Amino acid sequence: MPSVSSVGTEHGEYAHLSPLQRRYAELAADDPERPRLREQLINGYLPVAEHIARRFAGRGEPLDDLMQVATVGLINAVDRFEPDRGSDFFSFAVPTITGEVRRYFRDHGWSTRVPRRLKDLHIAIRSTLAELSQQLGRAPRPSEIAERLGLPVSEVIEGLQAGEAYRSSSLDEMLGSGEGKATLGEFIGGLDGELALIDDREALRPLLAQLPPRERTIIALRFFRQLTQTQIAEQVGISQMHVSRVLRQTLAYLQEQMAGLD
Amino acid sequence: MCLELHTTAGTAVIATIRTVAADLAARADFDLDSIDDLRMAVDDLCAMLVRLAPKDATLRCRFTARPERIEVAADVDVEDETEPPPTRSFGWRVLECLADDVSAVALPRELGQRSRICITVAKNAATAQQP
Repeated sequence: MPSVSSVGTEHGEYAHLSPLQRRYAELAADDPERPRLREQLINGYLPVAEHIARRFAGRGEPLDDLMQVATVGLINAVDRFEPDRGSDFFSFAVPTITGEVRRYFRDHGWSTRVPRRLKDLHIAIRSTLAELSQQLGRAPRPSEIAERLGLPVSEVIEGLQAGEAYRSSSLDEMLGSGEGKATLGEFIGGLDGELALIDDREALRPLLAQLPPRERTIIALRFFRQLTQTQIAEQVGISQMHVSRVLRQTLAYLQEQMAGLD
Repeated sequence: MCLELHTTAGTAVIATIRTVAADLAARADFDLDSIDDLRMAVDDLCAMLVRLAPKDATLRCRFTARPERIEVAADVDVEDETEPPPTRSFGWRVLECLADDVSAVALPRELGQRSRICITVAKNAATAQQP
C-alpha cells in the first residue's frame, strides 16, 4: 500500500480548513452557504488528493485519470465526514481517497473478472516494463521479466495473458488527450512518399485525417515509420501496453471503415 | 513444434487463433513487442481470409514454432477464381510491418480439394531495430 505518511499528522497547512469543516457539517442540507463552503473545502484539500494520485502513478494509468478518481474520493470524504465522531478529517479522508483509487484499478481497469492473484501479477509485470525496456533498448522477453521479479517464466506468461483482459478507459483513449512529445505535422506531410505505394490511399487519407492526433501519430510511426511499440512509447510518452491498445483499437477502426468502402 | 487448428471460417474464432499465436511466441521467449506484433498479424490474416471465405468454409491454421521463428500458415476454402488479397493495400502494408515475412498464394482446385487462398506470416524472435 502506498504510504501517505508525508501528508503529515499535524496538517499545519490545512489547519485553516478545520473550522470550515465543522461549520459545513453543522449547516442544514439546504443552507445556501453550503455549496460555497463545500467548494472551498474541496479546493483546499485538493493537494491531498493529488498527493495520493501521484503515489499510484506509473502503474499504467494516466495521472490525469488518477487525479479525477482521487478528487471523486475527496468529494465523498468532504460530504460524508462527521466531525462529531471524534476522528480528524485526514484519518477519514486518506483511506476514503485511497480506496477510491484502488477500486478504480481493481474494477474499472479490468473488462472481465480476473483472479486477484493474476491482477497483482500483471501489475508487478507492468511495473518492470519501462525500466527493463530502457536498459535493454528494446521490449523485454518473458524470461527477462521473470528474472527481474524472481518468478518462474510460466507465471510471467500467465500474468501477461491476464493483461489481455485489462482495458483502461478505452473511450478516453480513443478520444485521446495528450499528443506527447511527437508532433503531428512532421508525420502527415511526410507520408506522401509511402502512401504512394498503397493503392487504397485515397480511401485511407481522409480516415487518417479524422483520427485524433495521438492515434494518427501512433499509426504513422508504426506502419509508415516502422518503429516498434517500445520506440513509439518512448517518443509519445506513454507505456508500451498503452501503445498496443491504441494500435489495436485504431487499426480495427480503420479496417472496419476501409472494408465498408469496398 | 507444429500445431494445427481446423475451424469454421468465422470472426468468432479469430480471438482464439491469435491467442494461440501469442502464447506460442511468449513460450518461445519472444520480446513483448514481437509477441504483440504476431498477435496482431494473425488477427489481421484471419480477418482477411474470413472475408474471402464463403459461408461454412473451413479455415485451417498451421503454427510452426522454432526457437527463433514462428510461422503461421493459414488457408481457407474459396470460390474458384478468387484473388488473393492485394499486396498494395493498407491491410497488406500493416501485415508487412507486423511480420518479418508475408506471402499469399491462390491454390487452384485439385482432386478432393476446393480452391484455396493461403496466407503465411513469419515472425523472428529478435525485434528488428530501425534507426
